[in-house]
Amino acid sequence: MNTLVTLSEVTKRYDNDGHPAVDDVSLSIAAGEAVAVMGPSGSGKSTLLNLIGGLDRPTSGAVTVAGQRIDKLSETGTARFRRTEVGMIFQFFNLLDDLTAIDNVMIPAQLTGMRRAKARARATELLAALGIERHANAYPARLSGGERQRVAIARALVNRPPLLLADEPTGALDTASGDQIGQLLLDLNASGQTLVLVTHDPALAARYAGRTIRLTDGAIATDSAEPAGVAPVTGAAR
Amino acid sequence: MTPAGIESPTAGGGRGGAAGLGPVRRVAAGGMARRRVQTVVIGLVLLVSCLASVLALGLVVESQSPFDHAFAAQRGADVTAVINSSRASAAQLAATERLAGVTAAAGPFRETTVTAQVSGSGIGTLTIPPLTLAGRASPGGPVDHLVLQSGHWPTADGQIVLAAGQSGPDIGVPLHSKVTLLSVPGHPTLTVVGTANSVTGSASGWVLPAEVTRLSSASTTPSELMLYRFASASTATQLRTDAAAITGALPTGAVTGTQNYLSAKFSETGNAAPFVPFLIAFGVIGVVMSVLITANVVSGAVVAGYRRIGVLKSIGFSPAQVVAAYTSQIMVSAVVGCLAGVALGNVLAAPVLGHAADVYEVGALHVPFWLDVIVPVAMCCLVALAAVLPALRAGRLSAVQAIATGRAPRTGRGYAAHRLFGRLPLPRPTTIGLAAPFARPARTAMTMTAIALGAAAVTLAVGLTTSLNLVIDGLSHSHAEPVQVQVPGSFGPIQLHPGHGKVTKPPAGGPSAGSPPTSQLPTPAVAERTVEAALRSEPGTLRYVAEADRLVSIAGLSQPVSVTAFRGDSSWTGYDMIKGHWYAGVDQVDVGTHFLTETGTKVGDMVTLQDNGTQIRVKIVGQIFSTDNDGLMMVTGWQTLAKADPTLTAMTYDVALRPGVSATAYAEALGSKLGSSYFVSVNTRHSSVLDAMLALVGILTLLLAIVAGLGVLNTVVLNTRERVHDLGVFKVVGMTPRQTTAMAVCWVAGIGLIAGLVAVPIGIVLLHQVLPAMAAAADVGLPASFLNVYHGGELAILALAGAAIAVAGALLPASWAAAIRTGAALRAE
Repeated sequence: MNTLVTLSEVTKRYDNDGHPAVDDVSLSIAAGEAVAVMGPSGSGKSTLLNLIGGLDRPTSGAVTVAGQRIDKLSETGTARFRRTEVGMIFQFFNLLDDLTAIDNVMIPAQLTGMRRAKARARATELLAALGIERHANAYPARLSGGERQRVAIARALVNRPPLLLADEPTGALDTASGDQIGQLLLDLNASGQTLVLVTHDPALAARYAGRTIRLTDGAIATDSAEPAGVAPVTGAAR
Repeated sequence: MTPAGIESPTAGGGRGGAAGLGPVRRVAAGGMARRRVQTVVIGLVLLVSCLASVLALGLVVESQSPFDHAFAAQRGADVTAVINSSRASAAQLAATERLAGVTAAAGPFRETTVTAQVSGSGIGTLTIPPLTLAGRASPGGPVDHLVLQSGHWPTADGQIVLAAGQSGPDIGVPLHSKVTLLSVPGHPTLTVVGTANSVTGSASGWVLPAEVTRLSSASTTPSELMLYRFASASTATQLRTDAAAITGALPTGAVTGTQNYLSAKFSETGNAAPFVPFLIAFGVIGVVMSVLITANVVSGAVVAGYRRIGVLKSIGFSPAQVVAAYTSQIMVSAVVGCLAGVALGNVLAAPVLGHAADVYEVGALHVPFWLDVIVPVAMCCLVALAAVLPALRAGRLSAVQAIATGRAPRTGRGYAAHRLFGRLPLPRPTTIGLAAPFARPARTAMTMTAIALGAAAVTLAVGLTTSLNLVIDGLSHSHAEPVQVQVPGSFGPIQLHPGHGKVTKPPAGGPSAGSPPTSQLPTPAVAERTVEAALRSEPGTLRYVAEADRLVSIAGLSQPVSVTAFRGDSSWTGYDMIKGHWYAGVDQVDVGTHFLTETGTKVGDMVTLQDNGTQIRVKIVGQIFSTDNDGLMMVTGWQTLAKADPTLTAMTYDVALRPGVSATAYAEALGSKLGSSYFVSVNTRHSSVLDAMLALVGILTLLLAIVAGLGVLNTVVLNTRERVHDLGVFKVVGMTPRQTTAMAVCWVAGIGLIAGLVAVPIGIVLLHQVLPAMAAAADVGLPASFLNVYHGGELAILALAGAAIAVAGALLPASWAAAIRTGAALRAE
């Protein structure tokens, strides 16, 4: 299986005196894997995800995603990397409130230079696949949490990235909505989408990830692979 | 009770009282530190506004005050009446002193106008402009108290005191010089025993009463001066009424002319007065912009600080303390900016006020202290008002509401704009940026107004610059007659300048230094033939015309009127017509605007000149643009002036050159041909007053454009702060730094473009208000072409001024927005 993500001796410090948020982490993630990153608050889960997604740069070490040393990229290079290689979903969705659902989904495609009509067609296709096409012209404020997260997932997938990063994707949702989103992620992974999921919920990790990496004080405490059943999601996969 | 070392915000029991100021100060200081850019912006904005205000008001106040002070101290005459003493008895004149409204009177003083030469140590022998001599026994009196500047008052016949200041020919005339009266039979000689200042310019020289009677020509009408002060004399209308009362109280024909003090005041303050309208315009723009930008900064600080306000209130800050904290964090930089602006305004005002000081010989003039106090206090009050209103809103917010509201714009605002702009065939970052202003309509409106004012200032400045350049060209005639030749004998230390009648000293290095003695000069006829032959032989000569310049008297005017008489076609000499037409026959004249004002005449009227004892009745056929002799000037044909002097000779030749001929090279060639007896000069377009105006317009426009740019910068900084989380999201989904910069620039570029479009007509309207006001202050009319200075292409470029200001102001903070780290942006609350 091809390696999609490689971290080599990665350390991230936010200040020179304190303990590193990520401390000398080395790991590899193969294409098609579903990996859960767990740990208590402040253990460095989100920082690790941000490093893989190119949102932050490591203080030392190397981060390679889809064959690119993203820690060496310029800001423009990192932005282009994020457009095409990574989709990200967040606990609080991070949708743009003043854009409709479909506009939110279209944005990453339009940033690549895709024509509006084509971007719209792709966004419509994704919204339909995620079951929220009727909310295409609604603003995020009028959607439920689950619906917003579906919009966020559609936005993350619009450019068909090989890697999907999810930071507590069900953390702000009620149980039913959380289950639905979890199932969506399972379906995506089943269709070949590589998934890195940050959560502090062991049950979520056990249900949706085939491999769990546990962080303590920024370092990998355990890294174990567990089987997980997946079902495909029609139309949402790359 | 609070634990030791922990201070409650309301410690000391006050509800926002003095004891609670410690935390307020710390919060304000923290706010300033967090918003360094806005702190600097407010300081700079107020600096510029105060600078412009001090400069404008300082000039307004100080350009008037020396005259007013001198007028009060010397009990200047509100109205001077010239009386034909053969028509009014002494008793009738005395009766006018008791007319209603007259508070004081002096006279009658016998007067006569003479032509004269002055000779003295270091000045040689000079022909000076006609002297209006008045007979007075002493310099004192209830009206027009003369102040001796040097020497003493005449104590015997044969002594004269010359007027000091602008109205008198005292330039370089030392005491004990001899004044030979050429127009008086026997050419008597007077000795200059003193110089004196008459604030109302009642005469240009004084002798004892018996002397003036002796000097008066038997052939001329005897005239007397009566000087009056009135209870109501502050406006031209009141003064006309006062003069009419005097005229009406005396027999018909007794009053041959009247003059009020406003003309003397105009003469003294004229240079500074035209500065005032545009300085006020720029000053007002600056003040409005500073208020808008301050309101924007404070509103932005409040909006951006909602969460912080909520936290402050949750830990016990009272509404008053919140208001105090947010107002004081603005006021610190405002006060610093105001003080710096006042200091700089004083520095910039010094050279202009220095000119007024020279005119009045009253020592150094400064911006009055009270102005240095009032301007910053007023500006600070305006800023405080602009700051308090949004701060009050902050104070009224409940803690929970503030924390919950955060920095987000009200839900729903700008959504439609996003939908609309999203359909445009433009890059997505551009359309997102263009739609963003709709989320903050109040901020957008204030920013747009600030940009519009800045762009309007630019439009006004471009128009003013073009107009003032036309004024300079119109005054110098440098395009029409780039070269002038003076014939020998027409120049000296005091002379009629070839540039149409100005009394000036000759240029340094001019012919006076090395010219031959008077006895060796060619006769006028020989000189004319020589010059004309030389002009004809020069291949670069296109055309030329001879002119003679004289100072003549007009009944009722104490100041002489400059007359330029042309021999031959002179319509090409570059005078801009305001009204009427160029003179076309004998006894037709074109006059300057100030002449019309002073004489109360209009185009089509007849006036009578007195020259060389001869009266010439002429018709005013045109109003021309000229400030020669302070606008007391006229141009006419040769035959008109020759009536008074049949031997009239050319003093100057105005020369037009063929296209492509260098004026300098031509002048050098012609000068070599004519020799050192002739003075060939290149007619430059220099005007120190107008150059100073252009420089000031440029400086103020630049400053206002910078202020507008700072306003934009402030807005983009506020937007960046508010939208930092969205910026993070955009970066997450792949927006590059360049796209981010483009988006942030577009936050203001669209409104900048609209502001620019709005600003162009505003600027044009301002020009049409300001320039005529400037002209009115200088009492010169304006040709319509001087106002219609904007052209299609130029307007299109000016319409982009708003967008240019917006983009320039946005680039820096936009680059900051682009440089925000994605992770940090997403973590921002």
